[in-house]
Amino acid sequence: MMRPPLFLKMRFRGKHRRFSLWLPLFLIGPLLLVGALILLPLVLLAAIILFPFGWSLTVLMFGPLVLRVLCALRGLQVDIQDGKEQVYISFK
Amino acid sequence: MSENRRRILDMLAEGKVSVNEAERLLAAMGESTGDTGFSTAGETAKDERKYLRVVVEPNPDAGPGAEQHRVNIRVPMALIRAGVKLTSLIPSNATTKINEELHKSGVDFDVSNIKPENLNELVDAMKDLEIDVQGGQEGKVRVYFE
Repeated sequence: MMRPPLFLKMRFRGKHRRFSLWLPLFLIGPLLLVGALILLPLVLLAAIILFPFGWSLTVLMFGPLVLRVLCALRGLQVDIQDGKEQVYISFK
Repeated sequence: MSENRRRILDMLAEGKVSVNEAERLLAAMGESTGDTGFSTAGETAKDERKYLRVVVEPNPDAGPGAEQHRVNIRVPMALIRAGVKLTSLIPSNATTKINEELHKSGVDFDVSNIKPENLNELVDAMKDLEIDVQGGQEGKVRVYFE
């Protein structure tokens, strides 16, 4: 089973500005889980309402697939340097 | 190691069969069982490749005034597969509309023919992809899987 990333590190460095962010994703994950549980009845209701239009499967599978994408972010690293400018994004 | 394979290797060691004959026997056994049991270091490495890497390194011979571009991107293969899975969210009635718009734009392509299994095969085939461009003002460009 894929584990979600634990940390997010971002760093933007421009000619005149700098921005750094270090985010402990393992603290945000439980909050998102609680939010998902709260929204679950609404999702089920939306799936029932949209069933005649063929969108129910999309609504039901959206959450798990997005979760899968988020878990797959672990290991993503982008490091672009152009002279004095730099963009660095890392999920660990 | 299976019993048959051991027997073949024993025969090879005793000189009862030549190397070519032993190789043919092992290959035939692998085809009949559907499992070669062996995996070369390259094949094992291919199965374990987890990241797509894009690396651009500056030209070391460039002058001090030249702009230095450096790119180092690592994308997990799992992320590519998860993105491919998202295509399964497209409902059937939406694909009809997408096909209509594509036809209007002159693209004769049926989106419903795209299946996640086909795209998974494409992603698997890309594991052997390796692009290496050297020279020029940008220096070295490499795209590979690791």
